[in-house]
Amino acid sequence: MTAVPMLELRGVDKSFGPVHVLSSVDFTARAGEVTALVGDNGAGKTTLVKCIGGIHPVDAGELIFQGTARSVRGPRDAALLGVEIVYQDLALADNLDIVENMFLGREVLTRLRTLDENSMEKLAEQALASLSVRTVRSVRQHVVSLSGGQRQTVAIAKSVLWKSKVVILDEPTAALGVAQTEQVLDLVRRLAGQGVAVILVSHNMNDVMKVADSIGVLFLGRMAAQVRRKDVTQTQVVELITAGRSGELGLSPAESSGAAV
Amino acid sequence: MDQTALLFLVLVAMVVVFTVINPIFFSSAVFANILQDWGPIVLMATAQTLVIVSGGIDLSVGAALGLSGVVSALAMRELTASGQSAWSAMLLGVLVAGAVGLAVGLVNGVLINRVKLVPFIATLCTMGAALGLSLVLTGGTPVAGGPAGSIQFSSKTYLGMFTVPIIVVTVIVVAAGLYLHKTRFGRWTYAIGSNQFAARGAGINVESHLYKIYALSGLLSGLAGMFVYLRLGSGSASSGVGQELSAIAAAVIGGTSLLGGVGRLAGTVIGAFIITGVLSGLIIIGVQANWQRVVIAALIAVAVGAQGLSNESLRAK
Repeated sequence: MTAVPMLELRGVDKSFGPVHVLSSVDFTARAGEVTALVGDNGAGKTTLVKCIGGIHPVDAGELIFQGTARSVRGPRDAALLGVEIVYQDLALADNLDIVENMFLGREVLTRLRTLDENSMEKLAEQALASLSVRTVRSVRQHVVSLSGGQRQTVAIAKSVLWKSKVVILDEPTAALGVAQTEQVLDLVRRLAGQGVAVILVSHNMNDVMKVADSIGVLFLGRMAAQVRRKDVTQTQVVELITAGRSGELGLSPAESSGAAV
Repeated sequence: MDQTALLFLVLVAMVVVFTVINPIFFSSAVFANILQDWGPIVLMATAQTLVIVSGGIDLSVGAALGLSGVVSALAMRELTASGQSAWSAMLLGVLVAGAVGLAVGLVNGVLINRVKLVPFIATLCTMGAALGLSLVLTGGTPVAGGPAGSIQFSSKTYLGMFTVPIIVVTVIVVAAGLYLHKTRFGRWTYAIGSNQFAARGAGINVESHLYKIYALSGLLSGLAGMFVYLRLGSGSASSGVGQELSAIAAAVIGGTSLLGGVGRLAGTVIGAFIITGVLSGLIIIGVQANWQRVVIAALIAVAVGAQGLSNESLRAK
């Protein structure tokens, strides 16, 4: 906990017209850890993620990467800083195969400026192997033929391939069965094990309590609390989500009543 | 079985059937004629394949062919009247035809990217406008008076069936195939047609890519216009009417999916051979020429139907 966080948000504000979606949000994600981001529908999770990803530039506040404040004005800025978002609806192209998807937009070219399929295939296999993925038969399978868990695997492996520093997973297990959820959570841990700061956006308390090192709870656009997982019980987290406070933790009674929003 | 190989078998079967009914079909004269029909169709079908793979459609290819044929005919007539050589006139013709096609394609790009029209409507507009413009320019009469000897030049065959324009077309189509299947441009085209959201997420500039695709489609159609001019020795507004149907048919028969993201140029090339071969074959075995459109329509129905069935069996697996 002594090291400088990979990503730190300080006092982030974001409004859409008159709607104040985020107000002075602080949030920290450390390398090698899984940081869960939880909150009820409309609490601002997606907006916060899109602020980090540069899709919605922040109105006020700082985004600090490895100790340095950076301006993130668009997705390209975020990508240059090593931020990768794996969306819930999985931005994979069905008609392309696994290799083609993993390298989309960043294809390896030969000296003749043609696609270097062999190199890309090898690198893709290495990335999958580094995560101990054994569920994918061939990297030349079209994505359309993959199961939900396999798709999630491909999306996560893509971030390994690109040596991302911050990987944001948006509800990675929402559409998965029990066994596949297990596999994906394993993958999330291994991803963090590679020194990545993983941010896990989730509704599923079991998942969060199982893999997170730290939990940030959003309540009506405010960061109710960011706590170490081992310091809290699931009940406390649920209270934070639904009421914005739990005993000593969380927002003051006035704030949590929603008056400030 | 590989889809391209299957298509090739269909093509071979077609040749066999027509030859059995009328042995004249299997001759270099007929093949030369089919190739002359194939040239402009395969250029437009190549354009169409790029566009359809990207998830769009280009209805303006035939009208772009007509307009570029007319405008380059007018330009060549001027140059010839001023006493320039046939070669310089034909060179100018190629440049003008390409430029006019390119312009039509860029208008499509603007309508799709800026005005936010869906490709079907955008290219329907340019199709009407380009046809109308070529009628305005010519009053509906063919524009002749271009370089002398252009027909002789373009119809002189080598090995009994290959003309210079056909060789040029073949080189262009092979280059387009490499571009589509071996480069980043091609990969992005498939990605955009498959999932535009994913393509954007991967940092691809979808708008600028679509400009390139429609511009290329227009350029290829413009060159098809020059091909037709060389064959007929005149430019006519009506020369491209209905040709978009054949171009789309060739791409679709070749396995290109109208849903986007799927297609191989080799399939399109064979598809164009099947279309032009069937049309010539029907004439040779004595079917009235007016049946042609009906036959093309039926071929599209069969090809798309077969695709749908094979997709369903894939999903059922």
